[in-house]
Amino acid sequence: MAELKLLFEHAGNPAYQTIEGYIAKGGYQALDKALKMERQAIIDQIKASGLRGRGGAGFPTWIKWNGLPKEKTKRHHIVCNADEGEPGTFKDKQLMEETPFLLVEGMTLAGIACQGDAGYIYIRGEFIDAAKAMRKAIDEAYAAGFLGKNIRGSGIDFDLYIHLGAGSYECGEESALMSSIMGERGMPRLKFPHAPLPTIAGLWDEPTLINNVETFCCAPFIVNKGGEWYATMGASTKNSRGTKLFSVSGHVGKPGNYEIEFGTTLMELLEMSGGMTGGKLKACVPGGSSVPIMTAEMCDGAIIGYEEMMQAGSMVGSGGCMFLNDKTCIVQFIWRTAMFYAVESCGKCTPCREGTKWMLQILERIVKGNGQPGDKELLLDITSQIDGRSFCGLGDAAAWPVAGAIKVFPEEFDYYIANGKSIVGSPLPMVPA
Amino acid sequence: MSELIQLGASRPKAPKPEDLKLQFSDTAVAELEALLTHYPDSKSGILPGLWIAQREYGGYLSPEAIAETAFRLGRSYAEVEGVATFYSMYNTAHKVGKHMIEVCTCLTCQVCGAYPVAEYLKKKLGVDFGGTTEDGMFTLHEVECLNACDRAPLIQVGDQYYGPVNEKSLDELLEKLAKQDESTVIQMADSIVQVHLASFEKPGGQPATKPKPAAPAPPAAPTSTRIRVEETS
Ligand SMILES: Cc1cc2nc3c(=O)[nH]c(=O)nc-3n(C[C@H](O)[C@H](O)[C@H](O)COP(=O)(O)O)c2cc1C
Ligand code: SF4
Ligand code: FES
Repeated sequence: MAELKLLFEHAGNPAYQTIEGYIAKGGYQALDKALKMERQAIIDQIKASGLRGRGGAGFPTWIKWNGLPKEKTKRHHIVCNADEGEPGTFKDKQLMEETPFLLVEGMTLAGIACQGDAGYIYIRGEFIDAAKAMRKAIDEAYAAGFLGKNIRGSGIDFDLYIHLGAGSYECGEESALMSSIMGERGMPRLKFPHAPLPTIAGLWDEPTLINNVETFCCAPFIVNKGGEWYATMGASTKNSRGTKLFSVSGHVGKPGNYEIEFGTTLMELLEMSGGMTGGKLKACVPGGSSVPIMTAEMCDGAIIGYEEMMQAGSMVGSGGCMFLNDKTCIVQFIWRTAMFYAVESCGKCTPCREGTKWMLQILERIVKGNGQPGDKELLLDITSQIDGRSFCGLGDAAAWPVAGAIKVFPEEFDYYIANGKSIVGSPLPMVPA
Repeated sequence: MSELIQLGASRPKAPKPEDLKLQFSDTAVAELEALLTHYPDSKSGILPGLWIAQREYGGYLSPEAIAETAFRLGRSYAEVEGVATFYSMYNTAHKVGKHMIEVCTCLTCQVCGAYPVAEYLKKKLGVDFGGTTEDGMFTLHEVECLNACDRAPLIQVGDQYYGPVNEKSLDELLEKLAKQDESTVIQMADSIVQVHLASFEKPGGQPATKPKPAAPAPPAAPTSTRIRVEETS
């Protein structure tokens, strides 16, 4: 299959970044429609669309939208997770920079459906261009009566605020993100079933909906054209509907974001992005650094869909797809992955705080040529003690890539440990001198 | 190798409350006031408040900067310091140079040659990661994925991304920065403050198109010797 541009149809067109241009291309039709619909009918359309969260976990979006109390007793908040920090992912950045009104409209639709009073877009501090684009769009939407008091004369009020992060991957985890908006260190909170869901008690202990940028950007299309229409895309897969943005990087000819229909194969995605450069395909990390690495054989025939990618041995994740050529040393690549998680671990729970540093120390000595017999087994043992025992998803995400790489590239670890050097002589140094 | 993990760095001491000299400009005070209307409590103003402070105090959150932020928000010093030190973009460890060169060495950048780029910069500037050149012009930092991996190898300076970079483009960039009057560190903090505020909220900006709730009154100059601690609810 080729690219299928829905969210990205007008990406790159500067006119689409103005409210007039956006409306000229059909923007805000969904909002006008929604203002005439029952709130539940909007949620039903999201349900019919089969939309699943694009932030990484693939959770059915309608269940969250439906989860906020229908009898409103407190303020309701709509939060957009624009913290995009997963290595390899850069789709939310482009969406905010080039299609900012899709996000504004999508969040407003959620505000209408879930009786939201205010929305917060949590953008990572480094993304200033994206934040500026969102600022401009929000200002224009306020001036034109699409935000603020009495939207489009409907009697509904909805405010939209921007809140920037200050450098922390962990703030992408939804409960840590809410801590960060509330002015705390970016540490996660106790989760369901030990604590209420955010849809009951989130920001300031009030009902909160939290979705990824891409998830919100799908909503205008679903409300406008209907959930059933949306669900025709990706119908060849088990349970993945619509389009998905993939951020392709690494050793490819044309790195960038590509929008594809679920059911496209991983190899088709590689072809779209210009094919391999500098060597043959050796490995692929298809969904951001947290998902298990795949060998070229595993990539062959892999179909992009939430269940399909699991079957192929990895995950859709956030769609940050890194293709690596045969000059890449997997051990050094995994050392750097481990370093990322060790640096970003928030330190709240022991398995992750200590485990990530421990894995890094072992990988560091292997990479420096001082690996010891049994290091591979020790690493596997540590991963099994972090995975499933950590307070939030970061711990699991730190364990999977290490365990996954040892499983599918064991010989590279064995060679490195036995010989004190890499099995591949990469022409480009992948470690500090 | 993992310079990013700094353990046991000792923190400078908080200034005595009676020594607190308020330095925020009138604009900064107005910005903070407008920002606080976005949230139901003053605690939520800590992150944006720290961005204002980082700009007002020349790019470095000194103990004085943290104390003033805490005072203006009615929070304790310890609380605000605790937040500031969690996030990597607040400069709390030491003064930084006029420009901060942040080199991404994370995965895609790693496989696309970030370490050679980092070595080149270290040699050229004569500093290691975390170091500042003697003339106070540049601070070199290693950062995790900046999430523009299609442009690997990538660096960030102030509010701009540059990539893919090579030795030639880096030479040109450093030359340009050395000549620039404005500090990109301060410029970035200002950009971040500005994107928080709607055009109708900016001090001296366009007239309000949206009725705003009354903002909490700004604190008066310090009178007591204790920094006020507001009830968290
Ligand atoms: C460590 C960690 C980091 C995360 N980072 C992000 C992120 O940067 N962006 C994002 O949308 N979701 C991120 N998530 C997932 C969120 O917790 C959450 O599932 C998501 O925002 C829900 O939105 P969705 O249902 O629309 O996917 C992260 C999760 C974990 C555990
Ligand atoms: S797993 Fe534990 S230490 Fe790691 S980020 Fe989550 S809460 Fe923090
Ligand atoms: S790895 Fe450097 S920008 Fe993502």
